[in-house]
Amino acid sequence: MTKKLKGDFFLLSANELQSGKVVFYTKKGWLPNSNKAIKIHRDDLSKYDDIFKKDEEKCIIISAKFVELDESGKIKTLRDKIRDSGLTIKIK
Amino acid sequence: MYKYSNIDKKIIADRTKQFQNQVERRLNGKLTEEEFKPLRLMNGLYLQLHAYMLRVAIPYGELSSTQLRKLAFIADKFDRGYGHFTTRQNIQFNWPKLPEVPEILDQLSEVEMHAIQTSGNCIRNISSDHLAGLTAEEVEDPRPWCEIIRKWSTFHPEFSFLPRKFKIAVTGCLEDRTALLVHDIGLRLIKKNNVIGFEVFVGGGQGRTPHIAKMIRSFLSKKDLLNYLEAILTTYNQLGRRDNIYKARIKILVNELGVQKFKSLVEKNFVKFSNEKLKLDKNTINDIFNFFKLPKLKYSSNKLPISKNKKFNEWKQQNTLPHKISGYSIVLISLKPPGKPPGDADSRQMQELANISDDFSFGEIRVTHEQNLVLPHVNNTQIYQLWQQLDILKLATPNIGLISDTICCPGMDYCALATARSIPISQKIGNNFKKYFDQKSIGDIKIKISGCINACGHHHVGNIGILGLDRNGEEFYQITLGGSAKEDAAIGQIIGPSFSEKKLISAIRRIIKTYRKNKKNASEDFLSVFRRIGIEAFKKDLYDNTRKKN
Repeated sequence: MTKKLKGDFFLLSANELQSGKVVFYTKKGWLPNSNKAIKIHRDDLSKYDDIFKKDEEKCIIISAKFVELDESGKIKTLRDKIRDSGLTIKIK
Repeated sequence: MYKYSNIDKKIIADRTKQFQNQVERRLNGKLTEEEFKPLRLMNGLYLQLHAYMLRVAIPYGELSSTQLRKLAFIADKFDRGYGHFTTRQNIQFNWPKLPEVPEILDQLSEVEMHAIQTSGNCIRNISSDHLAGLTAEEVEDPRPWCEIIRKWSTFHPEFSFLPRKFKIAVTGCLEDRTALLVHDIGLRLIKKNNVIGFEVFVGGGQGRTPHIAKMIRSFLSKKDLLNYLEAILTTYNQLGRRDNIYKARIKILVNELGVQKFKSLVEKNFVKFSNEKLKLDKNTINDIFNFFKLPKLKYSSNKLPISKNKKFNEWKQQNTLPHKISGYSIVLISLKPPGKPPGDADSRQMQELANISDDFSFGEIRVTHEQNLVLPHVNNTQIYQLWQQLDILKLATPNIGLISDTICCPGMDYCALATARSIPISQKIGNNFKKYFDQKSIGDIKIKISGCINACGHHHVGNIGILGLDRNGEEFYQITLGGSAKEDAAIGQIIGPSFSEKKLISAIRRIIKTYRKNKKNASEDFLSVFRRIGIEAFKKDLYDNTRKKN
């Protein structure tokens, strides 16, 4: 999973198995917003590989991924921004 | 409307139970995600950007009021109070929780619905004309044929693991409202020498390699329908590519072999594998047709009411069609009010619409592939009263077939595959062309928007197609012109460099301006003008103006 990543800093994100909700890995475990997520340097990615694999095995999360940050430390891609902040449209 | 047999009921109940067991095993870790994913997909359950998404089949787009009421209940109890009607006449719930999905399926089975074969490499929901059985020019009602195909294709053991997904549409009219020619198989009922049979088209599709389907049989006898479908599917199953997901659809096979070669292989398989058990006899056909009789409608000379209410008159002009039984009308309900995601209906609207359909349209509702709804049999004397009720529910937007009646995929707001958002584009178009008079003066036009090259928003066949792209992390939109999903189906041509989200609406305005400038008379529609003057005229106006402004 880490081979194609380009940036220097990342967040670890996934979806909760039961709800499908987007979560980020924090010091307190998996939480639904990115503010408290641990900022991971690319050299440490493999350490976090082990963390999400264990939590996938424990049936806590699925579809884990590293979310790239830009130079200012914000989530880089629009898709990941939408994953974090939710729909950009009014639904009702 | 079709009613489940005991066999139908049993297989749905068994499947629900089976999936419940699979979900339990997934939640307690006995199944890994890798093992579970194909099982959930077979039951229409995807994982999207923010949550799971459950796609529920609406066979050939036909719903009863009881079913719609159940969908409203599911939206409220298990989701976020709304559902999204899709371009294949299905409905999607965007926020279900995995442990609750078996209960949702259980609820659906109570009203003869399910989510089977709404995903995966199998034969998907059979789609059809939303006006099936309602118009005078129809050769024959296609819905019974859809049902016959549905029965044959459900859990078909040989076609459950095809090279790729497989979509079939059936129409009974020359005027195509099903996007027949961009389906893997398109069946058109025709009458030849006073005998009704099918024209058979194969290899249509959109996605990254769009193709218009080609005719391989100019007349197929009704009794041979299932054997011929088996022959097509067998040929595809044997020869379709499984090594490359992008080249696995039947359209690629037909294109690589050439239509004549493909046709001869199908004909050989048809002779070789034809099975007496699959031959359709008159009794079997009649039994199915009996489910699709019209309700008891009384002929009358009642016309649509004349009113001084401008809003009503606009709606009446735009959203009603004559029924084949004089005295009744077909009412089209737009799910494209300005500012709302196309195809979405909230639970209150669904609940109330179910009641309305009981009161005004014999409890029947249809879903169109253009993401609108239909009340099929409304007495002309009740039209004004119906309109008043729809208006309260914000379901009386008079824009059917006009520029704000866009088809649109969920795009990057929901979809894990999308490269750009599409709903905000649709909303901008709706807000920019809000006034009925303006829209009407533009005339019939189809704008179709996809958030990625998979083309769920049918951009290839939009008169104006919009494809969302990711250009170095920024959303850009490529415009195609001249596409059509109708009987004169065509793939749109790319007009030139793409536009940022900011500049897209003014680009569309300029395209419309070119069309207006070149229109010979009030009734010449966008596609006719495009076909007459070609893309260069549009290109010149569009990019010359851009340069001046820059």
